[in-house]
Amino acid sequence: MIKNNARSKTSTIITIVVLAIIVALIYVLAFTGVFSSNLMRILLNICLYASFAVMWNLMAGYAGLTSLGNQAFIGLAGYACAVMCTTYGFGIWVAMLVGGLVCAVLAVILAFALMRMRGMYFAVATWVAAEALKTAFQNWKFVKEGAGMTVKIKPYPTNAEIFALAFGCFIVCMVVVYLLLKSKTGLGLKAMRDDADAASSIGVNIFGSRLLCYVVCGFLTGVAGVIMYISKGSIFPGGGFAIDWTIKIVFIVIIGGIGTAAGPVLGAIIYTLLYEVLAQFAGFTNIVLGIVAIVVIVVLPKGIIGSLENRFKFEILSQRRKSLE
Amino acid sequence: MDNILTFKNVDGGYGRVKILHDLSFEVRKGEVLGVVGPNGCGKTTMFNALIGLITPTAGEIIFKGKNITKVSANDRARMGIGRTYQVPRPFEGMTVFENVLVACCHGAGMTEHAGRPKALEILKLTGLYEKREIMAGELTLLDRKRLEIARALGTNPELLLLDEVAAGLVEAEVGEVIDMVADLKAAGYTIIWIEHVIDVMLKATDRVMCMSDGTDLLIGEPREVMESKIVTEVYLGVEDDE
Repeated sequence: MIKNNARSKTSTIITIVVLAIIVALIYVLAFTGVFSSNLMRILLNICLYASFAVMWNLMAGYAGLTSLGNQAFIGLAGYACAVMCTTYGFGIWVAMLVGGLVCAVLAVILAFALMRMRGMYFAVATWVAAEALKTAFQNWKFVKEGAGMTVKIKPYPTNAEIFALAFGCFIVCMVVVYLLLKSKTGLGLKAMRDDADAASSIGVNIFGSRLLCYVVCGFLTGVAGVIMYISKGSIFPGGGFAIDWTIKIVFIVIIGGIGTAAGPVLGAIIYTLLYEVLAQFAGFTNIVLGIVAIVVIVVLPKGIIGSLENRFKFEILSQRRKSLE
Repeated sequence: MDNILTFKNVDGGYGRVKILHDLSFEVRKGEVLGVVGPNGCGKTTMFNALIGLITPTAGEIIFKGKNITKVSANDRARMGIGRTYQVPRPFEGMTVFENVLVACCHGAGMTEHAGRPKALEILKLTGLYEKREIMAGELTLLDRKRLEIARALGTNPELLLLDEVAAGLVEAEVGEVIDMVADLKAAGYTIIWIEHVIDVMLKATDRVMCMSDGTDLLIGEPREVMESKIVTEVYLGVEDDE
């Protein structure tokens, strides 16, 4: 058992060192101009979509909360960013913090209002809440109603700086989810995912665990949303609160593998690259993405990573508890 | 003997469908109370009301002197009520060990570090130690039933609710279950055991309650209850010719 412990610790240290080297390398490459602006844009999108997807996966894949309303966090964060930077003249860090906090507060409010519902009722209720927010922002003079707002920051961050933020946000999302699932709460989440009633009857606090996941999801989706709108430069209610965001996120998680650590990341890479290629064939994008989703669901029902893990008996970033450690 | 649990005139059900009607009974500390009754009479609903999956519309449930009628399911588990399900509900995406560990951590309030040896001890007691690293979804029916008991024990319960743990098992396996329950009783657990196997009720329980139409029909010594005229009529469908 002592040998196993030592081997496990060594393996963890090696993994952390390798990941740290890769992260450092990516940052060096980004800031030394090795990445072209087009490549930087693609990587930025991968990081942000992966962040959104990792958070949605935490809710749907572990907490059993299938939300169709995560665009509420993205839109709200975009507006928080525009208001903090343009209206009040604050910098990026304050915008990210406020964007995250506003979304976390929204998550708490929605949790108490909606979490008594289950399954599709919850999903539809979150969608309705997002639509209600969209309507409110379309008619709110302070945020320029339907005309939207531009994000003004002085000096405006370079592409490399925005990418660095997005990459950092993605890493934070991955680490937070990993640590959460490694905790006692995470053990309960995995039980809840399989059978919420049975989990409740052995002491798992379903509401508390779901609330925690929803708030974490709201906060980090909000931070990623702020970075997304810093990169875009402007926000409109129709775009910020569009269901399209959630459709993209669901596509990414489903093809990557719901309830897996690496699925949302692979899904984000596939989605972003497919989108880039299909941009040349305007009008066909959604058709091809739809076909890809159907094929993956039929052939690999647990997503690409989920099916591979099942087939070859491995688990990326495994949170499994061994009996003798 | 002190009462550990009291049902006082409990009504309850699912939505508008009322299953339990004025159900009243008491459970003594350290006893094995068998519960019998025809299908649909409310035995499992009584368990659901007891662990907090449904809230009674009337009446009170008193556990260890405290009114728990409005207490949430997870808090009841932490107070010492452990339950198995009629159709085993293992967490299939987790190993056998993890299934029990989650109960030790959340139900018994242990840290993972403290929960590990406890989970292993329970797995040994329930005969699942050798299968601890197997995914719970791959277990046989008997092992799934063992896991149900192991998981309930992981919550460190004072009151253990067994819902038809002998159903669907062959005779030898039923014998193993009876022995296991006898060991649990000897270890000091109070047990309520729903079962249709009459022989089990006669061999393994201290008292038996017969339920009918969501209420307590008769409660007493096992043989006395099982041989009573009213129980044979309601439960076994045997009518007296006289």
